Amino acid sequence: MQVGDELTPITRSIDQTDVDAYAEAAGDFNPIHIDEEFAKTTQFGGTIAHGMMVAAMLPELMATEFKRDWATTGKLKIRFRAPVRPGTTVTTHGQVKRVRDTETGTEITCTVGVRDQDGEAAITGDATVTISNDD
Amino acid sequence: MPLDYAALAVGDTISDRTFPIDTNAVEKYVGAVRDQSGVFDGADSEPIVPPMAVAAFALRGVLEDLGIPNGTLHTGQEMTFSGAVPVGDTLSCQAKVAQNSVRAGFRFIGVGMDVRDRSNRQVMSAKSMIMVPA
Repeated sequence: MQVGDELTPITRSIDQTDVDAYAEAAGDFNPIHIDEEFAKTTQFGGTIAHGMMVAAMLPELMATEFKRDWATTGKLKIRFRAPVRPGTTVTTHGQVKRVRDTETGTEITCTVGVRDQDGEAAITGDATVTISNDD
Repeated sequence: MPLDYAALAVGDTISDRTFPIDTNAVEKYVGAVRDQSGVFDGADSEPIVPPMAVAAFALRGVLEDLGIPNGTLHTGQEMTFSGAVPVGDTLSCQAKVAQNSVRAGFRFIGVGMDVRDRSNRQVMSAKSMIMVPA
Protein backbone atom coordinates (compact mmCIF):
# COMPACT_ATOMS: atom_id res chain seq x y z
CA MET A 1 0.00 0.00 0.00
CA GLN A 2 1.07 3.56 -0.60
CA VAL A 3 0.47 6.84 1.16
CA GLY A 4 -2.86 8.21 0.04
CA ASP A 5 -4.44 4.82 -0.69
CA GLU A 6 -7.98 4.58 0.63
CA LEU A 7 -9.49 1.66 2.52
CA THR A 8 -12.80 0.27 1.32
CA PRO A 9 -15.51 1.96 3.39
CA ILE A 10 -18.11 0.10 5.42
CA THR A 11 -21.60 1.52 5.79
CA ARG A 12 -24.06 0.42 8.41
CA SER A 13 -27.44 1.55 9.67
CA ILE A 14 -27.74 1.43 13.42
CA ASP A 15 -31.06 0.94 15.14
CA GLN A 16 -32.09 0.32 18.73
CA THR A 17 -32.19 -3.44 18.16
CA ASP A 18 -28.49 -3.33 17.26
CA VAL A 19 -27.73 -1.30 20.37
CA ASP A 20 -29.67 -3.71 22.57
CA ALA A 21 -27.85 -6.66 21.00
CA TYR A 22 -24.49 -5.03 21.65
CA ALA A 23 -25.46 -4.32 25.27
CA GLU A 24 -26.17 -8.04 25.70
CA ALA A 25 -22.99 -9.13 23.94
CA ALA A 26 -20.68 -6.71 25.72
CA GLY A 27 -22.51 -6.68 29.05
CA ASP A 28 -22.77 -2.90 28.99
CA PHE A 29 -26.23 -1.96 30.20
CA ASN A 30 -25.63 1.73 30.83
CA PRO A 31 -29.19 3.14 30.52
CA ILE A 32 -27.99 5.92 28.27
CA HIS A 33 -27.82 3.23 25.59
CA ILE A 34 -30.89 1.13 26.26
CA ASP A 35 -33.41 3.06 28.37
CA GLU A 36 -35.20 5.63 26.24
CA GLU A 37 -36.98 7.23 29.20
CA PHE A 38 -33.73 7.74 31.08
CA ALA A 39 -31.88 8.85 27.98
CA LYS A 40 -34.50 11.50 27.25
CA THR A 41 -33.41 13.24 30.45
CA THR A 42 -29.81 13.54 29.25
CA GLN A 43 -28.21 16.07 26.95
CA PHE A 44 -28.70 13.66 24.05
CA GLY A 45 -32.49 13.59 24.26
CA GLY A 46 -32.61 9.85 23.68
CA THR A 47 -30.52 6.72 23.59
CA ILE A 48 -27.14 6.64 21.90
CA ALA A 49 -25.16 3.71 20.56
CA HIS A 50 -22.23 2.43 22.59
CA GLY A 51 -19.05 4.09 21.42
CA MET A 52 -17.29 0.72 21.33
CA MET A 53 -20.05 -0.67 19.14
CA VAL A 54 -19.61 2.02 16.50
CA ALA A 55 -15.85 1.87 16.93
CA ALA A 56 -15.92 -1.85 16.15
CA MET A 57 -16.36 -0.87 12.51
CA LEU A 58 -12.78 0.40 12.48
CA PRO A 59 -11.11 -2.90 13.38
CA GLU A 60 -13.39 -4.47 10.79
CA LEU A 61 -12.13 -1.91 8.27
CA MET A 62 -8.55 -2.77 9.15
CA ALA A 63 -9.10 -6.54 9.38
CA THR A 64 -10.77 -6.59 5.99
CA GLU A 65 -7.66 -5.03 4.49
CA PHE A 66 -4.89 -6.50 6.63
CA LYS A 67 -6.41 -9.78 7.84
CA ARG A 68 -4.73 -11.46 10.81
CA ASP A 69 -1.84 -9.01 10.90
CA TRP A 70 -4.37 -6.62 12.35
CA ALA A 71 -5.31 -9.01 15.15
CA THR A 72 -1.69 -9.53 16.17
CA THR A 73 -0.08 -6.12 15.65
CA GLY A 74 -2.92 -3.60 15.42
CA LYS A 75 -2.93 -0.31 17.27
CA LEU A 76 -5.98 1.89 17.40
CA LYS A 77 -6.23 5.33 18.96
CA ILE A 78 -9.61 6.99 18.69
CA ARG A 79 -11.73 9.76 20.10
CA PHE A 80 -15.49 9.69 20.28
CA ARG A 81 -16.48 13.03 18.74
CA ALA A 82 -20.25 12.87 18.62
CA PRO A 83 -22.91 10.43 19.76
CA VAL A 84 -24.62 8.14 17.28
CA ARG A 85 -28.36 7.93 17.76
CA PRO A 86 -30.34 4.88 16.67
CA GLY A 87 -31.67 5.54 13.19
CA THR A 88 -28.32 6.84 12.00
CA THR A 89 -26.39 5.48 9.05
CA VAL A 90 -22.64 5.57 9.59
CA THR A 91 -19.75 5.02 7.22
CA THR A 92 -16.10 4.38 7.91
CA HIS A 93 -13.23 6.04 6.13
CA GLY A 94 -9.56 5.21 6.10
CA GLN A 95 -6.53 6.47 4.25
CA VAL A 96 -2.89 5.44 4.44
CA LYS A 97 -0.87 8.31 5.85
CA ARG A 98 2.50 6.66 6.56
CA VAL A 99 4.38 3.56 5.42
CA ARG A 100 7.73 2.67 6.93
CA ASP A 101 9.98 -0.33 7.17
CA THR A 102 10.80 -1.66 10.62
CA GLU A 103 12.82 -4.59 11.92
CA THR A 104 9.77 -6.81 11.99
CA GLY A 105 7.98 -5.70 8.85
CA THR A 106 6.26 -2.85 7.11
CA GLU A 107 4.36 -0.56 9.43
CA ILE A 108 1.32 1.11 7.90
CA THR A 109 -0.52 3.92 9.65
CA CYS A 110 -3.94 5.01 8.48
CA THR A 111 -6.13 7.92 9.39
CA VAL A 112 -9.48 6.35 10.20
CA GLY A 113 -12.88 7.44 11.34
CA VAL A 114 -16.62 7.07 11.26
CA ARG A 115 -19.02 9.68 9.92
CA ASP A 116 -22.79 9.90 9.97
CA GLN A 117 -24.97 10.39 6.91
CA ASP A 118 -24.52 14.15 7.17
CA GLY A 119 -20.76 13.82 7.14
CA GLU A 120 -20.36 14.68 10.81
CA ALA A 121 -17.48 12.92 12.52
CA ALA A 122 -18.59 10.43 15.15
CA ILE A 123 -15.14 8.94 15.69
CA THR A 124 -11.70 10.05 14.54
CA GLY A 125 -8.34 8.40 15.01
CA ASP A 126 -5.35 6.52 13.73
CA ALA A 127 -4.82 2.82 13.16
CA THR A 128 -1.45 1.17 12.70
CA VAL A 129 -0.63 -2.35 11.55
CA THR A 130 2.64 -4.11 10.85
CA ILE A 131 2.80 -6.48 7.91
CA SER A 132 5.26 -9.14 8.92
CA ASN A 133 8.36 -9.76 6.83
CA ASP A 134 7.33 -13.41 6.91
CA ASP A 135 4.08 -12.75 5.00
CA MET B 1 -20.18 0.85 48.66
CA PRO B 2 -19.57 3.07 45.61
CA LEU B 3 -16.04 4.17 44.90
CA ASP B 4 -14.95 7.65 45.91
CA TYR B 5 -13.76 8.78 42.50
CA ALA B 6 -12.07 11.86 43.90
CA ALA B 7 -9.84 9.63 46.02
CA LEU B 8 -8.56 7.59 43.09
CA ALA B 9 -4.87 8.22 42.53
CA VAL B 10 -2.79 7.49 39.47
CA GLY B 11 -1.48 3.95 39.80
CA ASP B 12 -4.31 2.66 41.96
CA THR B 13 -5.54 -0.77 40.88
CA ILE B 14 -9.28 -0.58 40.31
CA SER B 15 -9.93 -3.94 38.71
CA ASP B 16 -8.21 -7.30 38.53
CA ARG B 17 -10.31 -9.93 36.85
CA THR B 18 -10.10 -13.15 34.93
CA PHE B 19 -12.62 -13.98 32.26
CA PRO B 20 -13.04 -16.83 29.79
CA ILE B 21 -13.89 -16.06 26.18
CA ASP B 22 -15.90 -18.91 24.77
CA THR B 23 -17.44 -19.54 21.37
CA ASN B 24 -20.85 -18.34 22.47
CA ALA B 25 -19.52 -14.99 23.70
CA VAL B 26 -17.56 -14.44 20.48
CA GLU B 27 -20.47 -15.38 18.23
CA LYS B 28 -22.74 -13.07 20.18
CA TYR B 29 -20.23 -10.24 19.85
CA VAL B 30 -19.56 -10.75 16.15
CA GLY B 31 -23.30 -10.93 15.52
CA ALA B 32 -23.95 -7.74 17.46
CA VAL B 33 -21.32 -5.70 15.61
CA ARG B 34 -22.05 -7.52 12.33
CA ASP B 35 -18.36 -7.95 11.57
CA GLN B 36 -18.06 -9.24 8.01
CA SER B 37 -14.27 -9.24 7.69
CA GLY B 38 -14.26 -13.05 7.87
CA VAL B 39 -10.98 -12.96 9.76
CA PHE B 40 -12.32 -14.39 12.97
CA ASP B 41 -14.44 -17.30 11.81
CA GLY B 42 -11.70 -19.88 11.62
CA ALA B 43 -12.38 -20.70 7.99
CA ASP B 44 -8.65 -20.65 7.21
CA SER B 45 -7.13 -21.46 10.59
CA GLU B 46 -7.84 -21.57 14.31
CA PRO B 47 -10.70 -19.20 15.21
CA ILE B 48 -9.53 -16.13 17.06
CA VAL B 49 -11.30 -13.52 19.13
CA PRO B 50 -11.82 -10.15 17.43
CA PRO B 51 -9.41 -7.78 19.20
CA MET B 52 -12.19 -5.29 19.81
CA ALA B 53 -14.13 -8.00 21.63
CA VAL B 54 -11.16 -8.46 23.95
CA ALA B 55 -11.30 -4.74 24.63
CA ALA B 56 -15.06 -4.77 25.16
CA PHE B 57 -14.98 -7.73 27.56
CA ALA B 58 -12.09 -6.25 29.52
CA LEU B 59 -13.81 -2.91 29.73
CA ARG B 60 -16.99 -4.52 31.01
CA GLY B 61 -15.23 -5.74 34.15
CA VAL B 62 -13.55 -2.42 34.70
CA LEU B 63 -16.79 -0.49 34.45
CA GLU B 64 -18.47 -2.92 36.83
CA ASP B 65 -15.69 -2.53 39.37
CA LEU B 66 -15.75 1.24 39.01
CA GLY B 67 -19.50 1.19 39.68
CA ILE B 68 -20.02 4.01 37.21
CA PRO B 69 -23.17 6.08 37.64
CA ASN B 70 -25.88 6.38 34.99
CA GLY B 71 -24.96 8.87 32.31
CA THR B 72 -21.25 8.11 32.31
CA LEU B 73 -19.74 8.56 28.85
CA HIS B 74 -16.84 6.84 27.14
CA THR B 75 -14.87 9.61 25.45
CA GLY B 76 -11.69 8.02 24.16
CA GLN B 77 -9.98 4.72 23.62
CA GLU B 78 -6.47 3.60 22.78
CA MET B 79 -5.58 -0.03 22.18
CA THR B 80 -2.52 -1.96 21.16
CA PHE B 81 -2.97 -5.60 20.23
CA SER B 82 0.08 -7.78 20.64
CA GLY B 83 -1.17 -11.26 20.02
CA ALA B 84 -4.09 -13.20 18.61
CA VAL B 85 -6.39 -14.71 21.22
CA PRO B 86 -7.77 -18.14 20.33
CA VAL B 87 -11.43 -18.67 21.09
CA GLY B 88 -11.68 -20.57 24.36
CA ASP B 89 -8.77 -18.84 26.05
CA THR B 90 -9.06 -17.30 29.50
CA LEU B 91 -7.81 -13.75 29.88
CA SER B 92 -6.89 -11.64 32.85
CA CYS B 93 -7.23 -7.89 32.98
CA GLN B 94 -5.59 -5.62 35.48
CA ALA B 95 -6.74 -2.02 35.34
CA LYS B 96 -5.10 0.97 36.97
CA VAL B 97 -5.93 4.63 37.20
CA ALA B 98 -3.94 6.54 34.60
CA GLN B 99 -5.57 9.94 35.02
CA ASN B 100 -8.11 11.59 37.30
CA SER B 101 -9.12 15.18 36.79
CA VAL B 102 -12.15 17.46 36.92
CA ARG B 103 -13.07 19.83 34.13
CA ALA B 104 -16.28 21.74 33.41
CA GLY B 105 -18.30 19.82 35.95
CA PHE B 106 -17.19 16.39 34.82
CA ARG B 107 -14.61 14.02 36.19
CA PHE B 108 -12.35 12.48 33.56
CA ILE B 109 -10.94 9.13 34.60
CA GLY B 110 -8.32 7.47 32.46
CA VAL B 111 -7.98 3.74 33.00
CA GLY B 112 -4.98 1.76 31.78
CA MET B 113 -5.61 -1.93 31.08
CA ASP B 114 -3.14 -4.77 30.79
CA VAL B 115 -4.76 -7.89 29.33
CA ARG B 116 -2.92 -11.20 29.34
CA ASP B 117 -3.69 -14.73 28.21
CA ARG B 118 -3.52 -17.83 30.38
CA SER B 119 0.23 -18.13 29.78
CA ASN B 120 0.67 -14.54 31.01
CA ARG B 121 1.53 -13.23 27.56
CA GLN B 122 0.25 -9.70 27.05
CA VAL B 123 -2.38 -9.64 24.29
CA MET B 124 -3.62 -6.08 24.68
CA SER B 125 -2.77 -2.87 26.43
CA ALA B 126 -5.33 -0.12 26.43
CA LYS B 127 -6.36 3.17 27.87
CA SER B 128 -9.98 4.17 28.24
CA MET B 129 -11.17 7.66 29.04
CA ILE B 130 -14.52 7.97 30.73
CA MET B 131 -16.41 11.07 31.76
CA VAL B 132 -18.40 10.87 34.97
CA PRO B 133 -20.71 13.62 36.27
CA ALA B 134 -18.63 15.24 39.06
